[in-house]
Amino acid sequence: MDFYYAPASAPCRAILMAAKTLGIELNKKLLSLPEGEHLKPEFVKINPQHTIPTIVDNGFALWESRAILVYLAQKFGKDDSLFPKDLQKQAVVNQRLYFDSGVLMKAFADYYVVQYLLKQPADPEKFKKCEEAFSFFNTFLEGQLYAAGDKLTVADISLLASVSTFEALGFKISEYPNVDKWYANAKKVIPGFAETWESMQEALANLKL
Amino acid sequence: MDFYYLAGSAPCRAVIMTAKALGVELNKKVLNLMEGEHLKPEFVKINPQHTIPTIVDDGFVLWESRAILVYLVEKYGKDDSLYPKDPEQQAVINQRLYFDMGTLYKSFADYYYPQLMYNKPADPEAYKKIQDAFGFLNTFLEGQDYMAGSQLTIADISLLATVSTFTVTGFQLSDYPNVEKWYENAQTVTPGWDENWEGVLETKKWFEAKFPSK
Repeated sequence: MDFYYAPASAPCRAILMAAKTLGIELNKKLLSLPEGEHLKPEFVKINPQHTIPTIVDNGFALWESRAILVYLAQKFGKDDSLFPKDLQKQAVVNQRLYFDSGVLMKAFADYYVVQYLLKQPADPEKFKKCEEAFSFFNTFLEGQLYAAGDKLTVADISLLASVSTFEALGFKISEYPNVDKWYANAKKVIPGFAETWESMQEALANLKL
Repeated sequence: MDFYYLAGSAPCRAVIMTAKALGVELNKKVLNLMEGEHLKPEFVKINPQHTIPTIVDDGFVLWESRAILVYLVEKYGKDDSLYPKDPEQQAVINQRLYFDMGTLYKSFADYYYPQLMYNKPADPEAYKKIQDAFGFLNTFLEGQDYMAGSQLTIADISLLATVSTFTVTGFQLSDYPNVEKWYENAQTVTPGWDENWEGVLETKKWFEAKFPSK
């Protein structure tokens, strides 16, 4: 399975951790976005939207990390624990995945990425959105150790990649006690965390933030 | 099934069309966001994130429109045509759904909301993102009549709610011939289109009130 990625990218780290969890061998292909490698014709042919992460599984190309997570769990999971077949459990996992993308990582992009990529000043209104997102996540975790219930699912993997990226940029997770507890556990139980954390730190250092 | 919504909201309209397609009756409850009805304790108790659309299906609460669309098809679909069980087909639909939220609808919000809600000036870079998004959509549709292949799925329904919302701004689909063709067809084959369009006209009223000259 070909895997197009960059080490600092949270959604890419989610796929790396999911692959480790599922025992999938990834044929890793680094793409340097600052150098426009994603815009080369060979890659655009594979993914016309030219984003990462992208996988090519036996000729089947797929992008959007959370679509990939679900696909990998469905296709390679020994059982359905990472993405339950039960309709209600599955729906909650999906809601957490859309929350991760549309609320949590959106807040990250609007506050952190605009500073680092577009050199805009820190916007306190946008920081409030980060705090709000963590507050919602804290509430979701009331009385449970995992994002979507009492077991590890792909929602935890996606959210671990996102939350750890916030931490890497200095966000104080400890102010959200349920998230703090979830985070400590998730880092322990999700394979590949330490490795992907290290590669991210290296990549961030090279970006000279 | 209780359904908390606003008629103008694109993600709410996607749920309405999907419910229509599946023959699911919705017990509709309007939540006036402008008056903060979503922040009332009774609703926050149901959905701590206090967003719309939210459904309550026999005590089971769910929000995020695209999670709702999947849930409704899996639970109430006579067959799996709107969300095929095959992992590859499903994966493509999921990618289109994330594209809808994270790229297409996002481009609408990023360009228009600052102008509409905060009186900020139009940002040409943000407009370019709209054009990029429609360009991608056009490419996805190359050689096919529907967003994820050869039949109507919830990818089409979700994207139809979003694309129809763009029309309130006077946005021209003619630059994107595949999208234009898809849009013309989707209107005729998607159940609940009329109700979606009524909702679009609600948004149009609000839009034109803010942008009288456009």
